[in-house]
Amino acid sequence: MTKYIVKRVLRSVITMLIIITILFALLRMMPIEGYFENFDKMTEIQVQAKLNTLGLNDPLPVQLMNFYRQLLNLDLGVSNKYRIGVSINEIIAEKIPISLRLGVISLAIALTVGLTLGIVMARSTRTRFKIGDKLGTVFIVLIQAMPAAVYHILIQFAGSQSQFGKNLGLKMLFEMEDPITWILPVISLSIGNIAYYAMWLRRYMVDESNKDYIRLARAKGVPNSAISRRHVFRNAFVPLVQYIPNSILLTLMGSLYVESLYSIPGMGGLLVTAIKLQDNTLVQALVLIYAVISIAGLLFGDILMGIVDPRISFAKKEGAR
Amino acid sequence: MILSVQDLNVKFTLRGQILHALRGVSLDVYQGESLAIVGESGSGKSVFVKSTMGLLDANGFISGGSIVYNGRDLTVNKTDRDWQTIRGKEIAMVFQDPMTSLNPLKTIGKQVQEAVELHQGLKAEAAYKAVLEALTDVGIDDPERRYKQYPHEFSGGMRQRVVIAIAVACRPRILICDEPTTALDVTIQAQILQLIRQMQKKYDLTTIYITHDLGVVANVADRIAVMYAGDIVEVGKCDEVFYDPRHPYTWALLSSLPQLGVKNEPLYSIQGTPPNLFREVKGDAFAPRNPRALKIDFVKRPPMFDVTATHKARTWLLDPRSPKVEPPENIRLLREKGVNRNV
Repeated sequence: MTKYIVKRVLRSVITMLIIITILFALLRMMPIEGYFENFDKMTEIQVQAKLNTLGLNDPLPVQLMNFYRQLLNLDLGVSNKYRIGVSINEIIAEKIPISLRLGVISLAIALTVGLTLGIVMARSTRTRFKIGDKLGTVFIVLIQAMPAAVYHILIQFAGSQSQFGKNLGLKMLFEMEDPITWILPVISLSIGNIAYYAMWLRRYMVDESNKDYIRLARAKGVPNSAISRRHVFRNAFVPLVQYIPNSILLTLMGSLYVESLYSIPGMGGLLVTAIKLQDNTLVQALVLIYAVISIAGLLFGDILMGIVDPRISFAKKEGAR
Repeated sequence: MILSVQDLNVKFTLRGQILHALRGVSLDVYQGESLAIVGESGSGKSVFVKSTMGLLDANGFISGGSIVYNGRDLTVNKTDRDWQTIRGKEIAMVFQDPMTSLNPLKTIGKQVQEAVELHQGLKAEAAYKAVLEALTDVGIDDPERRYKQYPHEFSGGMRQRVVIAIAVACRPRILICDEPTTALDVTIQAQILQLIRQMQKKYDLTTIYITHDLGVVANVADRIAVMYAGDIVEVGKCDEVFYDPRHPYTWALLSSLPQLGVKNEPLYSIQGTPPNLFREVKGDAFAPRNPRALKIDFVKRPPMFDVTATHKARTWLLDPRSPKVEPPENIRLLREKGVNRNV
């Protein structure tokens, strides 16, 4: 187990190094305007002087080493355009908590509601009219087929303009201090995931419940509820486990669309803004964070998978039959 | 008599059509015996035993007849809850494919323990001990270590031992073995059959084997029931069915067994296909494939005729009014062999 994890972590570190290096190379190819707040008004001498202080005129290997060193100190640099002279760590530290809070709440809701819906649907496939399954499928197909933008707007509109919503005090826009305004964004953020988890859990549960070992469990007289819980759900959940760390980590980055719709000052729009403004250091920092999150998500997913599924062999390939 | 099935009819609804899977099966099972049900794929062997445990698929239902177990009619059981008093507790089952019949994510021990806790009423430490005992019982060495292992760490034969341990740990009266050796390689087959026989003796079980392997039957069975197209066409003691078969289907079945030492002769195979059970079967279901069929075979379904007190067959050939029809030559040879054997 430890050996497997160490191996897996090392591999992730190597991947990270490659990504950092490629990112470095890409950014050196960008126009240098991205390092200046008012490039047009500066003379050539001023430009060169700034580049020298930033270390951008050093030979490339030196720059690369400096870049590595800077990252090792967890320093992401300073924004040059978005908020001039402010350290990127500070910018992100302000924004992440907002996205994270909404994201974690919505993910918790998505998991509980989505998994429950999946279980209800799977169990309903064994009943005569399969009503639960049919209704659930309608919901899932609707959500999956509709462009996300459409249902986000629908939720925002129906939530804030209907009499019911008004009575509750729901509003079009997000306000940090008023938790009731969080409700609509949280619904928007979770609804896609609800459909996703319900769909896959239902599918895996139906798959599992047709397997031979379920027949054996029935033949040995295990009550249906215990079969559902102990055998079907447990086994159907395994393939989903892999995606959960990734889902959690991705909530850090917020959702571009939902955040701009409710004007939430989170991480979602930051990368687009940074690219638009050509804020090279900010772009570089954000891309790095995305990469770290994705790789960490995969890593934790694999490790979690290894914990819940005994068939995954941690050591070298043994004589598995 | 521990289990008595009378005129059992089972139907399945499939895409709006009705499939008549069991067409009035009657069979008595006696305490302590081992009975083999043979027949080709689709003849209804599995459906028959599943219906005695309430394990039919959701689209299947019992449309008539009775299944009496120890004086209790099981056909009145409707819900899974009703059946739970039978499943495992009274009748347990060993399935065909040991590679898939264990939960891959639970340890072997836990899976046996589930049965022990349900049916022996043991908890915690006592249950654990009973599991170790059950594993030793079926010939698994080092049970403490094996308890903690997962199915993928077991070979096919070992897994089948575990499945048998689970079935026996339920302490049933009847053990149904649904093709218990089909998925195993030949060297393991004999061991598994031997093990089932041991368990039968030790726990005073009645065993019902389902198989299409006549070799297995000859090895283990006291009595044989031959199934064809959802009905039992012949039933009798092992010797009676093997050496004095009466139903043309049994003749055909025995003729299609390859014989050791017979060379340069094409292997016999039964012409045609089994009847479509979506349609109503008229007369003797085997008649269209039977070269010796009588006219009445196409019109009226034969009743069960007694050959001896223990041997019955559903064929008009046993009616005193029917013309004398000679069985094929190899069956006559078998009969002679049987006579010599008895002498």
